Amino acid sequence: MFAYIIRRIFWAAIILLILSLVTFTLMHMIPGGPFDREKKLPSEIIANLEAYYHLDEPFWKQYLNYLGGILHFDLGPSFTSRSRTVNDIIRQQAPISAQLGLFAFFIAVALGIPLGILGALKQNTAIDYTCMWLAILGVSLPNMALGPFLIWIFGLKLGWLPIARWGGISHMILPAITLGTAYSAIIARLTRASMLQVIREDYIRTARAKGLSERIVMLHHALKNALIPVTTVLGPIFAIIITGSMIVEQIFAIPGIGKYFVTSVTNRDYPVIMGITLFFGALIVIANLVVDITYGFLDPRIRYE
Amino acid sequence: MKKGTIVLGIITLMCVSILALPVGAKTVLRWNLSTEPPTLDPALATDTTSVFVDEQLFLGLTDFNDETNEVIPELAKNWFASDDGLVWTFIMRDDVKWTDGKPVTAYDVEYGVKRTLNPATASDYAYVLYVIKGAQDYNTGEVEDASVVGVKAVGDYIVRFELNHPAGYFPAIAGMWIARPQPQETIEKWGDKWTMPENIVTNGHYMLKEWVHDDYLVMVKNPDSYEADKVQIDEIYCMMVTEASTAQSLYEGGELDVQEIVPLEDMDRIKADAVLSKELYIAPRLCTYYYGFNNEKFPFDNPLVRKAFSSAIDRETLIATVLKGEQKPATTFSCPGIFGWVDPAEEIGHPFNVEKARAFLAQAGYPGGEGFPVVTLMFNTSESHRKIAQVIQDMCQRVLNVKINLANQEWGVYLKTCVEDAPQIYRLGWCADYPDANNWLNDVFNSKSESNYANFSNPEYDKLVEEAAREFDPAKRIEMYKKAERILCDTDAGIAPIYWYTRVVLTKPYVERTYAPMGGEHIKDWKILPG
Repeated sequence: MFAYIIRRIFWAAIILLILSLVTFTLMHMIPGGPFDREKKLPSEIIANLEAYYHLDEPFWKQYLNYLGGILHFDLGPSFTSRSRTVNDIIRQQAPISAQLGLFAFFIAVALGIPLGILGALKQNTAIDYTCMWLAILGVSLPNMALGPFLIWIFGLKLGWLPIARWGGISHMILPAITLGTAYSAIIARLTRASMLQVIREDYIRTARAKGLSERIVMLHHALKNALIPVTTVLGPIFAIIITGSMIVEQIFAIPGIGKYFVTSVTNRDYPVIMGITLFFGALIVIANLVVDITYGFLDPRIRYE
Repeated sequence: MKKGTIVLGIITLMCVSILALPVGAKTVLRWNLSTEPPTLDPALATDTTSVFVDEQLFLGLTDFNDETNEVIPELAKNWFASDDGLVWTFIMRDDVKWTDGKPVTAYDVEYGVKRTLNPATASDYAYVLYVIKGAQDYNTGEVEDASVVGVKAVGDYIVRFELNHPAGYFPAIAGMWIARPQPQETIEKWGDKWTMPENIVTNGHYMLKEWVHDDYLVMVKNPDSYEADKVQIDEIYCMMVTEASTAQSLYEGGELDVQEIVPLEDMDRIKADAVLSKELYIAPRLCTYYYGFNNEKFPFDNPLVRKAFSSAIDRETLIATVLKGEQKPATTFSCPGIFGWVDPAEEIGHPFNVEKARAFLAQAGYPGGEGFPVVTLMFNTSESHRKIAQVIQDMCQRVLNVKINLANQEWGVYLKTCVEDAPQIYRLGWCADYPDANNWLNDVFNSKSESNYANFSNPEYDKLVEEAAREFDPAKRIEMYKKAERILCDTDAGIAPIYWYTRVVLTKPYVERTYAPMGGEHIKDWKILPG
């Protein structure tokens, strides 16, 4: 198992390296640069700025400089916000997106898995149809409609929860619900489909024949195996959720890093684009690794050399 | 009851009632910055958010009167120009201090101006100071020595500027954030991090207390400022809510005192609401929305074609049905409030007129639109620009019987397109840096200007705006600018101005406020009424 993990970490580094090269190349191919302004800067000043940030050097040299910085954990300055570095941005704001994301992930799982199991156990009954209808609703309602709607009802009209912004737990509830319901829907449908497949397997019939209670059969034997496909998507879903949804963060005025995924590109803020992309990439890679290790616990047939 | 219990009870009651009193209650204004300020450094500020904060933190030699846009004293008590208009002297107050205790002197002004012009600072707005002798040479690196710049502290509290040519509008420029005194020691010590709350040194009526990026920023009253006894609001709490509908909910929920990003979709509801309609105010904003024509690109190289298109736009209907913010239709470039603007009553420009539009097109050789090529109208990607473009496309197509294609590009790409090869029709806006037509007619549409994406070129126009820049007599300047507008928007029709912006603002009834047309609100003059 240990050797397996080392091998995976090695491949993770290769993947991230390729990601960095592709992003770096695409970034420099977009027309426009970080110093384009509506009221045009004198060309001498642009030349000065480009020299200061080494943007006048050949492409390969800039890329190697960047990699060199990564080795020192220095992700570079921000071109847009001169008093902050990329490290500052990620350090100060990624944890906020992570908190929101964890809460949303918890909601997604806590809602999705039970709904899916219920639907599978009561297949083709009214309960099943209700569960799946809720799932479709969750997937179809866009964040930018659900968010303001929840704000209007629970924040403005009823006054039960804060309208927006960040603070204690009460501030997390509405954005986490907005963010989590779409994923809970995906998880519910996947869980249901997977359960339906598993309960038709031979070993379930054996378990019943042995005289085990239906509850033990379902929750102990069937569920563990049904969760394997679900776990596969939970990894990437986790990474996506905790890097912050730009839309939810904008609607609820939450100071996470979600917005930087878009604004850094609009501003052509190269170091922030690279830093955010690599951060996200690293998270996905780690999440997938954790998922693969989890397989081993769920299904004893899965073993790694 | 035992006597001891009664005494204890009375004491408890007293304690509780004291705690219930609002001890030393501060007046707090809750404002929405609507986005994280990219910088607080006055040399680097360009956007309205940074300018708003800098207005509270840093004083300038001059300021603007919110109602008349006239230049009024701030750090400078008075000022005067030499007879030839080339040398301006400002006499400063001697009772203003930085928050680290040091006095604010003329040397700080000289340092601030030179630092803004320093090419290493790479200030976006340095070009506004190019009227100062040597400024452009120093800023573009032609000359490396800062001493060529015509700004000098000739005493602790006297600063002298030498200009390239007489400029009646110079006192307005002297008050802008880029020309304000900057704290040299602090900047040299902390470099790019000098604006962090723990490092920053300011001299304004407010000080920076806290800055949590992307979340909120807090400014508190500077007790040592020279008007401290008149400043009523103790603290400005600035949240950063970008989403207009969320800001609206916060305002209606009582968590925000002023709402400046009112969603367009809510305008009808607000105007019909008994409470909100009274809190609504539509203030002028010194910006113009216009459609430019690439004067060098067929078929818009023909002034008749440009006149036809300008005459085909029904600006009133556009404003009433799409914009809904009581904007003013514009047929000249400089907007009301800018020195040198032209009142629509003078009838300069091409307002909506179907017969004239068709006549112009026919004169150009395309009667009834026959033979007119398909043209492109481009705008930067945004829902509101798209709505406006669709309406104008429809208007022109119906009036002139021509075909227009719409195209949009992301802002950065769009700017590059406009610079390199402007589309036949392109959308842009211009906002005042300072309230003088020089900033509009000369800085933008002089044929040598780098912002002249329309490639508008008329030697008589250039002569007019360059002479007006040098002219001392305000009456003469107004005449010259009127003639220039006539050329730009009427006889040559280089562009088609569409509307003059407004600000739609909701303010709680307990806030007594002013409206600064260029974004640097004077919170020091505002009051929060009790009750």
